[in-house]
Amino acid sequence: MPLVGTRPTTDFEHGPLLRQPGGEPWVLPSAQILQVMYEIEQGAMTSLLPPALHPTIPPTLVVTVMRAPESPVGPFTLAEAKVGCRSGARPRALSVRAYCDSAAACEALAARWGYPVHPAEVVLAKRYDRSWGAVRIGGRTVLEAHLVDPEAISGSDIQYLATLNTARVERGGEAVPRLIQVDPEYQFHSADRGMPELLAFDAEAFALPGAEPYWPVSASLAVADVAMPELRYLVDPAKPPLAAVERI
Amino acid sequence: MKFGIFYEISVPRPWGPTTEYEVYQNCLEQVKLADELGFDQVWAVEHHFLEEYSHCSAPEVFLTACAMVTKNIRIGRGIVVCVPEFNNPIKAAEVAATMDIVSGGRLEFGTGRSATWTELGGMGADPDETKKTWDEWVRIIPKMWTEERFGYQGRAFSMPQRAVLPKPLQKPHPPMWVAVTSPGTELDAADRGMGSLGLTFGGFAEQEKKIAEYRRRIKYCDPVGSFVNEQVNTVNFLFCHEDNEYGAKTGQRLAGTFNYLAEQLLAARQAYPTRSYPNLGLLPALRREATSAPEGQIPEGLCIGNPDRIIEVIKKWESVGVDRINFLLNAIETVPQEEVLASLRLFAKEVMPKFAEKPAPAPAGVGGGN
Repeated sequence: MPLVGTRPTTDFEHGPLLRQPGGEPWVLPSAQILQVMYEIEQGAMTSLLPPALHPTIPPTLVVTVMRAPESPVGPFTLAEAKVGCRSGARPRALSVRAYCDSAAACEALAARWGYPVHPAEVVLAKRYDRSWGAVRIGGRTVLEAHLVDPEAISGSDIQYLATLNTARVERGGEAVPRLIQVDPEYQFHSADRGMPELLAFDAEAFALPGAEPYWPVSASLAVADVAMPELRYLVDPAKPPLAAVERI
Repeated sequence: MKFGIFYEISVPRPWGPTTEYEVYQNCLEQVKLADELGFDQVWAVEHHFLEEYSHCSAPEVFLTACAMVTKNIRIGRGIVVCVPEFNNPIKAAEVAATMDIVSGGRLEFGTGRSATWTELGGMGADPDETKKTWDEWVRIIPKMWTEERFGYQGRAFSMPQRAVLPKPLQKPHPPMWVAVTSPGTELDAADRGMGSLGLTFGGFAEQEKKIAEYRRRIKYCDPVGSFVNEQVNTVNFLFCHEDNEYGAKTGQRLAGTFNYLAEQLLAARQAYPTRSYPNLGLLPALRREATSAPEGQIPEGLCIGNPDRIIEVIKKWESVGVDRINFLLNAIETVPQEEVLASLRLFAKEVMPKFAEKPAPAPAGVGGGN
């Protein structure tokens, strides 16, 4: 059977506590979403994932930077660097640590959807020749991902993977690690694709030790209304893939 | 209705020094038996880099070996990837013609374009280009087979006039097929007068709609080859056992394992935004629908269980317009080889006779009692 992750589950014990699942729906109108995909060196194929997940073949890094100009907690920009994977037979992307430029958004995204998000300077810039997203912590750039030479495509040509956020949930009065499946819905207004360029990536900053992106795959930039979903599934990172999924 | 067997050649981990050898030997043994039992065709895929799921990157070699250990079974190249980073159209025509000769005119020629980033990215192919190069190749390869000398100036491929040799034994050339995985490709097959080599598992209702449209469209086709190959070939799982419950349980394990492996692949669309690979949303759902069922029930379209159940299922496939069914017999050796062989024997003994071609009716006035 397919390979499974070998990462110690202790690495998943430090996510935010999912305190407010459910609540009022969020729609983020005209959000800009930059996605850059790279293949990563196969040496870290299994060491980045917990036993509950299978690596993709080849293993991939999915960088997403989303600028939401409007939200119930005000504008924010969220940056994620995720590892492509499979939860059983389902395509997913694992996020262990992410960054956001708004303290209010950090709080809400962590409490409601389990985003393992930390405050940082996050930017998303769009130009006619290129677009890019970047994360700076204490003046140091830990992520800079570009889409070069954009060409218009249809939004329906883009496929986003559902994210598994590293978080914790209450079980019998105890906070236990779980991966929270977040699968927003997108209503596209426009979309471009182009050449991907990853000019900076600090794997440690995204809690992905050993992840070495080396082979560019694709880049897209979309403008879409993003409906943040109700949570339906959790994954116990310690269990084998076919036994790991829990329904909320 | 004709029956065949179909190989991805999946190899289970852990990979010992002889694991691939053993799996290939098992496949060859199955093919030899299938030929003796009267199966009509054996198909093998061309896949690259698909760990566990398919270690069948040189199907022309495997199929030639099949031809050498069999007498009657037809040899299905399923498929030649018509993308220049994978193959070359001259070489594809030459290899196919040679296979047709050494098999004594038993080649079926399948075409396609690959659907995973694992393969397309690995070969450095542009996903935007694959449909275009496929369309060009399927028009020139039959000309390479039938014209004494062939020259061509095209968009993605050109060559000065040369004699492409050898020529196939079958005249004018082997039947041509298209692998149908993306929605709408069955219509591409119809418009070009090619057989539809279905590689996904839809339920009866979904397949019936597709087949009806294929039949309607092919009437008005502009064939790429020298003749129209109007046939619908579909794929299924086979596990036939006297005990229906055991047969169904083992068959479902086989189908579930195969689908689980298939879902591990990185589809082109998941990695690269392109119109060339339409939304996959429907296909995994169809595959799940076709291979899963409520607790205690057997998925409606799968050829698993006892002979009576399999006969009923095949009659339904026949009624929706399927001409041939190719069976996957195993996935990462989930089913022991002896049980695979026993399943083939039981199917041939109890099921195949029910679908044997009936002799043509005698002409009027002959053999009557007047």
